[in-house]
Amino acid sequence: MLSEMKYALLTKLRNPSIIFWPFVFPIALATLMYFAIGRMEQADFETVPAALVMEESENGRAFSAFLASLGEGSDLIRVEEMTEEDALEALEKGEVEGIFYAGEETGLTVSGNGFPENILHSVLSSYLSGKSAVEDIARLHPEGMPAAEEKLQQYDTAVEQVSLGGKTLNGNAQYFYALIGMACLYGGFIGFGCALWIQANLTALAARRCAAPVHRLRLIVTEFAAGFIVHFANMLILLAYMKYILKLEFAGSNAEMTAVVLAGSMFGVSMGIFVGSIGKMSEGVKIGIILGISMSLSFLAGLMAGSVKNAVERHAPLLNRLNPAALISDALYCINVYDAPQRYAKDMGILTVMSLLMIGGAFLIVRRERYDSI
Amino acid sequence: MIEIKNLVKRYGSLVALDHLNLHIKEGEIFGLLGPNGSGKTTAINCMLALLKYDRGSIRIMGEEMQPDSYRIKQEIGVVMQDVAVFDELSVHDNIDCFCSLYVKDKKRRKELVEDAIRFVGLEDYRRVYPKKLSGGLLRRLNIACGIAHRPRLIFLDEPTVAVDPQSRNQILEGICELNRQGSTIIYTSHYMEEVEQICTRIAIMDHGRCIATGTKEELKKMIKTGETIVIEGVALEEEELRQIQQLPHVFGVGYEEQTLTVRCSGAKHNLIQILGWLREREIPFGQVFSQLPTLNDVFLEITGKQLRD
Repeated sequence: MLSEMKYALLTKLRNPSIIFWPFVFPIALATLMYFAIGRMEQADFETVPAALVMEESENGRAFSAFLASLGEGSDLIRVEEMTEEDALEALEKGEVEGIFYAGEETGLTVSGNGFPENILHSVLSSYLSGKSAVEDIARLHPEGMPAAEEKLQQYDTAVEQVSLGGKTLNGNAQYFYALIGMACLYGGFIGFGCALWIQANLTALAARRCAAPVHRLRLIVTEFAAGFIVHFANMLILLAYMKYILKLEFAGSNAEMTAVVLAGSMFGVSMGIFVGSIGKMSEGVKIGIILGISMSLSFLAGLMAGSVKNAVERHAPLLNRLNPAALISDALYCINVYDAPQRYAKDMGILTVMSLLMIGGAFLIVRRERYDSI
Repeated sequence: MIEIKNLVKRYGSLVALDHLNLHIKEGEIFGLLGPNGSGKTTAINCMLALLKYDRGSIRIMGEEMQPDSYRIKQEIGVVMQDVAVFDELSVHDNIDCFCSLYVKDKKRRKELVEDAIRFVGLEDYRRVYPKKLSGGLLRRLNIACGIAHRPRLIFLDEPTVAVDPQSRNQILEGICELNRQGSTIIYTSHYMEEVEQICTRIAIMDHGRCIATGTKEELKKMIKTGETIVIEGVALEEEELRQIQQLPHVFGVGYEEQTLTVRCSGAKHNLIQILGWLREREIPFGQVFSQLPTLNDVFLEITGKQLRD
C-alpha cells in the first residue's frame, strides 16, 4: 500500500496539467482579486481633501460646523477654508477633490467622477437630508425648533458598526472566501486524474492496473488519499499565500481555517473521482462537467457577485446548505465573522458526509465493472 | 490453461467475437494471428475480465474469469498494445510501480525489478523518463512492466508495433526466453513472420471467428498450396496465362506488373516444369523464387484475401 501511495503521489506531483488548475490558477486569481478588490478598499479610506468657501449666514455656519465635526471624528475628509479663487485654483491643481460652498445655499463643485468625489457628494447629501428634516420641523412643529437646531449641530455618530463575533467586517472578504471554496472544488481535477487510473475504458494505464490483482476499493482509496494529500497541500499553500503574502484579514485561527480547507479538499477530490467514474463519457466531457460544476457552484457561492449568495439564501436556502462552495464560504464566515461554532460544525459535517457519499458512489460504480468497449 | 467456449461480443450491430472457441495449454506460446479488426485485442480484453461479453464462458487456470478473480490475476502479466507507462516515473520506478501491484515484499521486488531491467536490456536507462526513450526502448519498458512479477501466464498484445528490427528481434528472443522459464504466452500480432517464428500453436482469426488452429505445420497442411513460384520480368499474354493454369499441379495463377505468381500443390519439380514451359516458348524472364507456403497462404486460401488486406 505504501509503495502504491508513493507512486500515486509522485505521478500527481510531477504532472503539471493536474497541478495547474487546483494550485496555480487559484493563487493567480487571488493575486488578481487582491489588486482589483483588496486595493480598492484601501483607496476608500484615503482622506479626501476638500476646500470650504464660507459666506456669512446662519445656514453657512451650521454646514461649517457639520464639516468640522466630520473632520474630528474620522480621517474620511480633510476640509480647509479658503477664498473662492484659491479654492478653484486648488481644485484645478488637484490639491483638493472638491469645493463646498457654505452660505444661504449649500453646494459642492467637483472636477471628476471617482470615489473621492462620491464621498464628498455623500457628505453633502447627508447634511441636506438633516437640514430638510429641520425645515419640516419648523413648518409642522415650530415649538421644537430650538431643540432641533441644537441637535443638527451635534453630529455624533448614532450607529456603530460591530461584527457579530467581534471579528472582521471586511466586506470584500466574501470574495476571497468564495475563491477558497472554488479552489477546494478544483480538487475535482486531481480527483478526475485519479479516476483516469482506475477506469480501464479511459486509459491503457488504467486497463493495466485493473488487470492486476488489486481490489477496486484499495485502488480508489489509494488514489483518493494521494489526491487528497496533494490538494490539501495546495490549499494550505493558498491559505498561507493569502494570509501572509497578500496579508488578507483572516480573524479565524489557523487550525479552524485548516480544518475548512481539509474538508473542502476532501470534497473536491472525491467529487472528481465520482464524476470520473460515472457514465461512459469521454475524458473531455468529464473535464467539462467538473469545470462547469466548480464554476456554477462558486458563482452561486458569491465568487463573481457577492449578492448572489444572499439571493440564493432568500429564495432557495436549501441550495446554500448543499452547495459545497457555499458551505466552505459559510464555514469561513463562521470563524472569521460570526463566531458561530455550531453552524461551522454543521457546514463541516455536511461537507464530510457529501465527500464520503461521493467516494462510496465511485466505488459502487467501478467495483466489479467490466466495460462495453475499451 | 485457458478454455474459451462460444464467446460472443457485440458492439451494437458489429459482431466483434463470433462464437470464439479456444483451448490454450500450459507452456505454449499461443499466437492469435489476424488482420486489424479481426477481434484479437477484444478476445484478450475479455479474457482479462475488462470487457463485457454477450455469450460464452472463459475459464483460466480452471476457474471462471471475473473482475474480482484476484487469485488468477496474481498469475497473469499483461503487455498492452498501447504503451501503458507513467510519463512521470523513471524506467526503474515504472517497473517497480507495476510490480508492487503483485509483489508486496520489498526485497523480493527489488530483485525482480532488476531482473526485468536486465531482461529487456534497459540497464543504462534506469533513471531515464519514458519521454526520453526511443519507440523501441519504450516498448521494452512496456514489456518489463508486464512481466517483472514473473507471471505464469503472459498476454502480449502486438508488442512489436512500430518497433525497429533490432528491438523487434530482442523482444521476440525475450518472449521465447520467458516461455523457456515456464510462462505460458498468448501473443497477438498481424505480422505472420513473427507468429511463425515464435509460436508453438497458432489460431488464425478473421471477423471475430477462429478460422483455423494448429501448429504452423498443421496449418500449412490444411491448404492445397505446397509451393508458390514467383517469376519476375516476364511478359505474358492472356492465352499464355490460361495455358500455365492448365499445367499439372498448378491451381492458381496471378500476373501483375510483369510478375508471374504460380501456386502449385505439394508435388515435386513444379519449378522445373514451369521454367521448361517458358523456355520452350522462348519467353525471357528475370529472377525466379520458390516459396514454401506461409501463414498468409493459409489465410488467403481460407478467406480469399491477403492477411495484410
